[in-house]
Amino acid sequence: MPMGHTATAQAGSGGLTATEHRLANGLRVVLSEDHLTPVAAVCLWYDVGSRHEVKGRTGLAHLFEHLMFQGSGQVKGNGRFELVQGAGGSLNGTTSFERTNYFETMPTHQLELALWLEADRMGSLLAALDEESMENQRDVVKNERRQRYDNVPYGTAFEKLTALAYPEGHPYHHTPIGSMADLDAATLEDAQTFFRTYYAPNNAVLSVVGDIDPEQTLAWIEKYFGSIPSHDGKQPPRDGTLPGTIGEQLREVVHEEVPARALMAAYRLPHDGTRECDAADLALTVLGGGESSRLHNRLVRRDRTAVAAGFGLLRLSGAPSLGWLDVKTSGGVEVPQIEAAVDEELARFAAEGPTPEEMERAQAQLEREWLDRLGTVSGRADELCRYAVLFGDPQLALTAVRRVLDVTAQEVQEAARAHLRPDNRAVLVYEPVEPADETDGTDAHEGADK
Amino acid sequence: MQYHPQPTAGEARPWAFPAPERGALPNGLTVLRCHRPGQQVVAVEIFLDAPLDAEPEGLDGVATIMARALSEGTDKRSAEEFAAELERCGATLDASADHPGVRVSLEVPVSRLAKALGLVAEALRAPAFSESEVERLVGNRLDEIPHEQANPARRAAKQLSKELFPTTARMSRPRQGTEETVRRIDAAAVRAFYDAHIRPSTATAVIVGDLTGVDLDALLAYTVGDWSGNAGVSRPVPPITADDTGRVVVVDRPGAVQTQLLIGRIGADRHDSVWPAQVLGTYCLGGTLTSRLDRVLREEKGYTYGVRAFGQVLRSTAPGSSSGATGAAMLAISGSVDTESTGPALEDLWKVLRTLAAEGLTDAERETAVQNLVGVAPLKFETAASVAGTLADQVEQHLPDDYQAQLYARLAETGTVEATAAVVNAFPVDRLVTVLVGDAAQIAEPVRALGIGEVSVVSG
Repeated sequence: MPMGHTATAQAGSGGLTATEHRLANGLRVVLSEDHLTPVAAVCLWYDVGSRHEVKGRTGLAHLFEHLMFQGSGQVKGNGRFELVQGAGGSLNGTTSFERTNYFETMPTHQLELALWLEADRMGSLLAALDEESMENQRDVVKNERRQRYDNVPYGTAFEKLTALAYPEGHPYHHTPIGSMADLDAATLEDAQTFFRTYYAPNNAVLSVVGDIDPEQTLAWIEKYFGSIPSHDGKQPPRDGTLPGTIGEQLREVVHEEVPARALMAAYRLPHDGTRECDAADLALTVLGGGESSRLHNRLVRRDRTAVAAGFGLLRLSGAPSLGWLDVKTSGGVEVPQIEAAVDEELARFAAEGPTPEEMERAQAQLEREWLDRLGTVSGRADELCRYAVLFGDPQLALTAVRRVLDVTAQEVQEAARAHLRPDNRAVLVYEPVEPADETDGTDAHEGADK
Repeated sequence: MQYHPQPTAGEARPWAFPAPERGALPNGLTVLRCHRPGQQVVAVEIFLDAPLDAEPEGLDGVATIMARALSEGTDKRSAEEFAAELERCGATLDASADHPGVRVSLEVPVSRLAKALGLVAEALRAPAFSESEVERLVGNRLDEIPHEQANPARRAAKQLSKELFPTTARMSRPRQGTEETVRRIDAAAVRAFYDAHIRPSTATAVIVGDLTGVDLDALLAYTVGDWSGNAGVSRPVPPITADDTGRVVVVDRPGAVQTQLLIGRIGADRHDSVWPAQVLGTYCLGGTLTSRLDRVLREEKGYTYGVRAFGQVLRSTAPGSSSGATGAAMLAISGSVDTESTGPALEDLWKVLRTLAAEGLTDAERETAVQNLVGVAPLKFETAASVAGTLADQVEQHLPDDYQAQLYARLAETGTVEATAAVVNAFPVDRLVTVLVGDAAQIAEPVRALGIGEVSVVSG
């Protein structure tokens, strides 16, 4: 066993419990009581994400998520924002590869309103969905794409790496934001069909967490969601399984107007929900998490060749997860120098494994991240839905940190040896180019208009 | 499905912003503590009275480098050892410098609070400031600058400060220094800044979390209690002045697919009795997706993913201080719109402001805003970090410890007429400085045609 000491008696579950229920129409419900603060979180996961999209309609799941805020049978326009915010609550929705989630956090006494609102759009969205909202939200989403990806340096790196790491035709080859052309091509009929196919109670999990009376909460859920008919039209996503390793090094060099050279890479890793994925998480943390990691120490502190260097993990259950390396170079340093240092560190780690101190640090870091996530009612509600939708068991959320602390140094080394190797990665290199229309670089005002 | 009428609210359970317990250690360090049951991750915020204004001439950025260098080695540990020990606690530590002073923020599971607070105390009491580490931090900071320049939102903020404040004012220049000034910083300059401004008697530590079973007095005594220093001398705080003559500056980004907007000026801070009305009115203008700006720019026209109006305190002075009331907040509207829609979006934005000035807010708008601003408090302050952050903000702005609690009462009392007056006064159509980071060749002419002020273009 590693030396990791635990922050709480019950290693992250902190005495939390959750109960599970199912309505006759198939809606799964998870409830978790916590009366410390007078707030309650409602979270609804629909088992649909960008992996369910078909060629020519990328971005549809996310565009559709926007339409879910455009009114439903009994809610006019974006009235749900006014209702929730006017009740002292907050709300939003997000779309990823594997799911779409909607959530409200409410003062306890306004919980029933959030349940009514979620049920109203699950049961009657199409009564309000029209061309006008479709056109408007299409423009909003295109501006979201510009703001978050197209108009920022390295903004499309994730999209490019994903496209490299998952082959053409693979359900995870494209990211949830979709392409401009596909966003333009989406029709109202596509949106209506999407709703009919995926937005059914038997394709969703509802969690309610916080200062709740479980019996009363369940009665409200039955009242509002109980009469929504189930629907079995869902097509399963295309199979996302791939061989354990890529088997070659894939590579793309991007010449763009970026402030510095960058080396990025995506390593193919085990599926989320496995012990091997937790071991890979710890390996990435030792190598590239925080300011005492091997890559930070090597590239930023000692060699001083990078301005920042780290690893991130994108956990995926329906396809291999991705370990994402991101190094921005310092000054005029060239990419091969960085790449050689990264390879050397990864090879050394695979050969030696983590030291006991490194295991302890990595486990302590991941444990704190879990405490943070489970420390708010909304974070807990989201994790309960995640484990219910992706792994069929919400209780796994409450024991997740225990599993991370249970991983051994040998397993971490094995994960690195098996996956963090040059023939199992897609590499993206950024080489800066000068702006096409370079001005003299001064900051003086010119061409003032009187 | 069967429709049901919209449910009515149950009875609200009382909630109040937590009142901290205030005290002081023998070394002069002020301590605010606050027990939050269930919050296993404890947040510690330490405010150091080392404002950017105190940086020596030509050394902009020395406060930032000093803040970062605090955690890069001590009298007992090298930089690598310090980072490793801290992460062994499962802790995160951030330190940054802003106009009011330096903030050090620690988050750590309560079971390892003693160890982590010991490390923070060591960093405050005996930082190494080795030449090699300072040189590395300077190099790292120089590498960050081009990344910030390339980011449209950061570039816009930098330009707005330059436009608003007189060139002699520290506020007109980047908080973390320019390439020219950062290059001059060395270990001796960092040490001198530390010696001049960092001491327990002018510092405050805020500690928030589930402190059940923690002997905090003992813990404080052998960690931050061990830090010593002389009594500081108080510095005069210069008043904040700004030129808000209505005008437009385009920061040219040929080929940009969007234009970043930042429209601002300065106005009242929290010491001004208008603050609650300003908060309320600003929320109605641009606090959320159903506020006036997004109602048109996003939900009707689709020009943007979202535009927000906000007020952010730059610096405040203590009431009755020798410098008088010299605080101010940045009042601004920000967002991004697609290049082609830049002219039409600004035209609509000005139309929203003019309509607001002419017709005022409605009672319904004011009611929803109050319900939201007051009602979200228990959500907003669920974590220890959010409570600690707000308490530390109060300290650095020289506000009483019950300010936030009182603010909720005052928001609830603020009427529609007051909120209208405050927001119209905060965003007068002819006294706004507009910075646009975008493709000048495409946007400058349409913007000139709007007549919202003289338009000039600077290179990106």
